[in-house]
Amino acid sequence: MTDKEKDTAAAAAPASDAAPAAEPAAKEKKAIDPHAMLTVSTSPHIKSPDTTRSIMIDVLIALLPSCIWGVYAFGPRSVSLLLIAVICAVGFEALYQFIMKKRITVTDCSAAVTGLLVGMNLPSTAPLWIPIIGAFFAIVVVKQLYGGIGKNFMNPALAARAFLMLAWPNAMTASPQPFTTSSMFSVSVDSADIVASATPMQLLKTGTIPDNGIFNMLLGAKAGTIGEVSTLLLIAGGIYLLVRRVITWHIPVSYLATVALISYLFPQNAAERLEFVACEIICGGLMLGAVFMATDYATTPITANGRLLFGVGCGLITMFIRYFGGYNEGVTFAILIMNTLVWYIDNLTKPKRFGGVPNNGK
Amino acid sequence: MALTFRGGMHVDDHKNTRRCKIETLPPPALVSLPMSQHIGAHCVPCVKVGDTVLKGQVIGQVESGLGCPVHASVSGRVKAIKEINAANGMKIVNVIIENDGCNTIDPSIQPYPKRIQDITTEEIIEIVRRAGISGMGGATFPTYAKIQSALGKVQHLIVNCAECEPYITANHRLLLENPAAVINGVKILMRALGLRKAEIAVEDNKLDAINKLEQHLVGSDIISVKVMKTKYPQGDERQLIYALKGVELPTGQLPADVGCVIFNAETCYAVFDAVAHGMPLIERTVTVDGDCIKTPKNLRVPLGTPYIDLINYCGGLRAQPKKIVNGGPMMGMAQWDIEAPVTKGTSAILVFSEKNDLHYNLPEACIRCGRCVKNCPMHLMPNYLATFSKAEHFDEAEQFGVMSCVECGTCSYNCPGQVPIVQYIRKTKTHINNVRRAQQAALAASKKETAAAPVPPAASVSAAKEMQAPEPKSENKEASSK
Repeated sequence: MTDKEKDTAAAAAPASDAAPAAEPAAKEKKAIDPHAMLTVSTSPHIKSPDTTRSIMIDVLIALLPSCIWGVYAFGPRSVSLLLIAVICAVGFEALYQFIMKKRITVTDCSAAVTGLLVGMNLPSTAPLWIPIIGAFFAIVVVKQLYGGIGKNFMNPALAARAFLMLAWPNAMTASPQPFTTSSMFSVSVDSADIVASATPMQLLKTGTIPDNGIFNMLLGAKAGTIGEVSTLLLIAGGIYLLVRRVITWHIPVSYLATVALISYLFPQNAAERLEFVACEIICGGLMLGAVFMATDYATTPITANGRLLFGVGCGLITMFIRYFGGYNEGVTFAILIMNTLVWYIDNLTKPKRFGGVPNNGK
Repeated sequence: MALTFRGGMHVDDHKNTRRCKIETLPPPALVSLPMSQHIGAHCVPCVKVGDTVLKGQVIGQVESGLGCPVHASVSGRVKAIKEINAANGMKIVNVIIENDGCNTIDPSIQPYPKRIQDITTEEIIEIVRRAGISGMGGATFPTYAKIQSALGKVQHLIVNCAECEPYITANHRLLLENPAAVINGVKILMRALGLRKAEIAVEDNKLDAINKLEQHLVGSDIISVKVMKTKYPQGDERQLIYALKGVELPTGQLPADVGCVIFNAETCYAVFDAVAHGMPLIERTVTVDGDCIKTPKNLRVPLGTPYIDLINYCGGLRAQPKKIVNGGPMMGMAQWDIEAPVTKGTSAILVFSEKNDLHYNLPEACIRCGRCVKNCPMHLMPNYLATFSKAEHFDEAEQFGVMSCVECGTCSYNCPGQVPIVQYIRKTKTHINNVRRAQQAALAASKKETAAAPVPPAASVSAAKEMQAPEPKSENKEASSK
């Protein structure tokens, strides 16, 4: 082959008039060798600039406003919880991949997103070791043991939340009222710091409309976990993700619409039907779940119709748990249950092939 | 409203050369003409080393089967006839002609003696065949064969000038600078096919070309210009037919099966040239672009010109080339040699530096974002196809429609997880095609057996079903001994 190359090169060299003129100019810089080895690969030869990393950074950006509100509302202790969760998630991923002699992929930022979501799902009063365990469970048990990014079948952050809720129910459900400060590094929180009162979800379960005022709750002045309270900022984050085309509208819209429809048709409190609908949407972790958890790529259907179906399923199970379950809030388990059905939903909603089914070459 | 299809997406189009007039490349000192520039049989050189050839003279003839002849693109002396490794990995005989600079045109090249109104279909087919015209959009199907197969079957003639691939503006410029020739080419093809209507499909990023065509078509209702949405892969035959006619072309069928025939705009130009001037296909328009090219240009180039001549004419390289692509960046073919010749299917030469391979080193992991599914113009689920292909689960891949894939590359282009989806799919398609071919061969062999030997048909069917080699082979021996 080299002989041939030389042949053609020798033949072409005296031939092309422009070549001698162009070559010295090129040599001024880095001595461009037009005959250097070329990459031969199959098409396509260009690539969109989007990477997993750019998507994950978009998600982080979208989550940030809500986190900042959480810190503002629940005090600096939230910062340490969030930071511990993120650092541990990234650390555990790197550690696992190092020990297992895999390529370390923490720079794709997916572990940071998971860690942040774990942190956002904690009440600001949670002990500081809780996010460590949560991050370990999310990253190592749920994500890495199933093959790493894109291969886990359950949302890691939600699975961690479910695990923590089952293992340490007291620590996980003691939601403080907003604007009751606690020191940044206190390991355990003095119970005096927590203004003991029912969370909105507890009130809703009994059919009582919380008296915080809808607008205040929309803004985030309500009891809850660090990241779930500011409905407005979560919606803003969701819009950012929609505009950046990171998520599609299907899951959030179908999820929220299902919840709204059910709570409108079968309200716990028929006297204030519309207020009840609004509270069902605003109060618990629904917005965080619908916008950020139920749209997690790896654990949700890949087709548009599948996503609609997924959202409806999440909404039904959420409302089922809220009405009939032992828990006040059903978002976590609703999404986890639907996660396990993704393969079936994908299969069920396979798009109709262009040109129909091939005739198998007959 | 611009017409379009469901799926696909807008790729950064990089049409840097949209305002670059087509320039004529100074005749190259040397042309290397591959004897296979189209789908079908290879040509056999009909000149010898040392022969003097004239511009437009036939130098390669197809002896049998589908194919079209190759003509000398310059006048001069045959310097060598040798096998050269082509980009597709095959060895192809090339006729290398040294240009004598005289530009002597073969005297047999004359305008066809009849007026266009009097030329019959058969005559047009023969002119097109002799002129060696094959589809110039990239697939290079011999045009005469396309006309033949479409005869009597089609009602719609579509001229494909969607040019949905990024970078390429060769068709765009051709329409702007020579709309009359293209339109006349279309009229000739309409006459050949006996059609009264034709449509020229242009993407709406070429509004100036659309205006120009419409100016030329004022008062004519037989050719209409259709504005297509700028979206990749709008220029794919299937998507084009769907956008214009609302018909989904079934997998494995040709456009003629749904009454459509599609010609590239430059093919129409070549047809006009062949009929009006008798000029065979010896040059074409090529877009030279890419981040290594100093001044991207559109060039009119004799076939067989080495890429490096074009690159040098465009000011040479400004960065170290890492990849040279023949055709568009989405479906074109990477070349291993900067001396490779321009062929009938070379719509563009793109020279990319290593900057183009930015994501090359990122790990490959599907995050199931769903972009491939959303954008697939064939409405497949490329992520699953890639997964099955990677695991070599060919049956499942087939169930998920891997054979419907048109390999447009939309999925790989978009994949944030850097999964080379279409590359995996190609691997599977090749495997399945090989298996099918082997099965068909076995089937054909066993059918021959049944014809030769008095075997009851049921037995032959079961033999065909088992397919694997040993049985038919032994039968084969029996048959031959008989």
